[in-house]
Amino acid sequence: MRTKHVGIRKFVNEQPVLLLFISFVMILIFVKPTFVSINNIKNVLIDVSIYGVAALAMTIAIITGAFDLSISANFAWGQIFFCFLLNRWGETPGAMVAALVVMLLSCMLVGAFNGFVVVFLKVHAFIATMATGIIVKGISLVFTGGNMISTSNPFIKAMGRGTFLGLSYLTYIFIGFVLLAHYVMKYTRYGRSLYATGGNRKVAELSGVNVKFTRFSIFLILGFASGISGAMFVCLMRAGSVLYGTDLALTCVAATVVGGTPLTGGKGNVLRTVLGILLIYVLYKGLAFLGLQGYYNTMIRGAVLLSVVALDAFMTRKERW
Amino acid sequence: MKSNAIVSNKKKAVGFLREWGLILAIILITIVATIIRPAFLSWANMLNILRAYSTIGIASFGMAYAVIGGGMDLSIGSTISLTAVVTMLIVNGATVGTVTPASTALLVLLVGILIGATIGAINGAIIAAVNGKLAESFIITYAMQIVVGAVAQAIVKGHFQAAQYRAGLFKQFGIGFTPVIFMLTTAIIMQYVLVKTKYGRSLYFLGSSMGVAKMSGLKVKKIRFLTHVICGMCAGLAGVIVVARVGSASVLQGQNYELDALVCVAIGGTSLDGGNGSIMRTLLGVMVIGFMMTALNILGVQSNAQLIVRGAIIVLAVALDVLNKSMKLKEVAQ
Repeated sequence: MRTKHVGIRKFVNEQPVLLLFISFVMILIFVKPTFVSINNIKNVLIDVSIYGVAALAMTIAIITGAFDLSISANFAWGQIFFCFLLNRWGETPGAMVAALVVMLLSCMLVGAFNGFVVVFLKVHAFIATMATGIIVKGISLVFTGGNMISTSNPFIKAMGRGTFLGLSYLTYIFIGFVLLAHYVMKYTRYGRSLYATGGNRKVAELSGVNVKFTRFSIFLILGFASGISGAMFVCLMRAGSVLYGTDLALTCVAATVVGGTPLTGGKGNVLRTVLGILLIYVLYKGLAFLGLQGYYNTMIRGAVLLSVVALDAFMTRKERW
Repeated sequence: MKSNAIVSNKKKAVGFLREWGLILAIILITIVATIIRPAFLSWANMLNILRAYSTIGIASFGMAYAVIGGGMDLSIGSTISLTAVVTMLIVNGATVGTVTPASTALLVLLVGILIGATIGAINGAIIAAVNGKLAESFIITYAMQIVVGAVAQAIVKGHFQAAQYRAGLFKQFGIGFTPVIFMLTTAIIMQYVLVKTKYGRSLYFLGSSMGVAKMSGLKVKKIRFLTHVICGMCAGLAGVIVVARVGSASVLQGQNYELDALVCVAIGGTSLDGGNGSIMRTLLGVMVIGFMMTALNILGVQSNAQLIVRGAIIVLAVALDVLNKSMKLKEVAQ
């Protein structure tokens, strides 16, 4: 009994953001029981799957003490380039795989540039990735002339529409990446080196972790994940545009923080982020369900992000002045 | 001996660039642009550039304060949009016939600065309360940008507003030399405060090391709060002037202002880590960007492609700053 009580108190103390969110969602479900319908759950899961892959990468980055604001722009570039390549190279399986690989490589190139600037030129990750984001957005705009690129590829359509055991294919892709990320972070040498780097870079270096490589590799992972998210988004929308997914980076940060991974790095868990992004999307959908549309919804999204980050900073800050 | 001489020559060159690089850049851009289009070096064009970049200048000075203090304010774009929208509503509402009364012009100036100050105060209060690091002030002010942008949307329901006035003091704010005078006055006042007052000196201290500043008895929270309020006030003023200059207002008015301000501050040699920089150098940075963007326009580079240039400039400026610092450290070590 006693240990259970202590466990609850520990949870309340350590995870105030998560607790707040769970109670919020509970209230929402209580007020509008019709919100919990099969269709709504499926839709939320699809949205979660698409942003989720990028959120996993963002969590890993935050654990390592890195950060990437350029994934929004990279996500949009991924969609655009993927659609363009699909249209250009045709509908044979080989061509589609080639399109996916080339698109992912282009996204990882952006990541590599980020990594180079942050790790080797020693520029602050926030500023460097923000600048890269602007550059990539500019490139996407020049590439498309600001227009949307759509694709009528039947396989892509089938991927976005198809279901297996009632769940969308996209959800299974996401589950696959969750398991992979969890395995890598928990059971591999590389995953542990990521935690070590985020915890204390100097100590990690002294204990034989190749910190430069670890930090550089994170940006490649971020580029790769935003490309995968972009491809999944194309399956759903069958189009790519600069305007899609501008909120990706900050939604991923919010998901990470809601899940309970602190922005200070060295701690955290990818499975928590899955819970975080699920809660965030249930909240967003719930607000829309309650009739809050358009700019009020945007306002609340901003306010959620603001309060989550502020609360996290307030709870985790050790030096109280 | 010989290698020493080379090193000191190199040092001299770097030092020269550090001091005069911006002015050199302005002169170079002017020469190149003038060769391609002789009209570039005309009085009318110079005044146009100054006027067009006056609002970005005012916003940059506020941003410079935030950056010198070791923070960042990404919410100024939306602050400008919100002030612009509110200003236009008030001015159009008060316009009799086609003339805006002088009292309204002064009123909107006050209202604009107050709106900016309020948003800055909210930013500052949150960041001071949670004792936010650079990463957190980044995300908090970015979230604030989303919220304030949505508020501006809600006020005008996304509609574009055109000016209904043809004359009056408010129109005067935006034509001729007036915006430039606004910018220069703001620059002089802010530079004075930064260099001559206790607050200004503490801002540098805070930016270089917040922990040390706290231990030496500075009221860190108060200074951070005040800095964000000042940054907001600058954005508010910029929002009013931009409406007077363009003669219309929309929720997209302030789009990319935070980026432009950041670019100008970085180009002006203010380290984005905080602790150094000046308003006068930021003003030079604004001039460089103004001249360069106008030159790019003349060369026929589209606005989408200019986005790439802007991003590249940030990376370059910050990377050079980091290089500069490590060189200085080596100098000290020698």
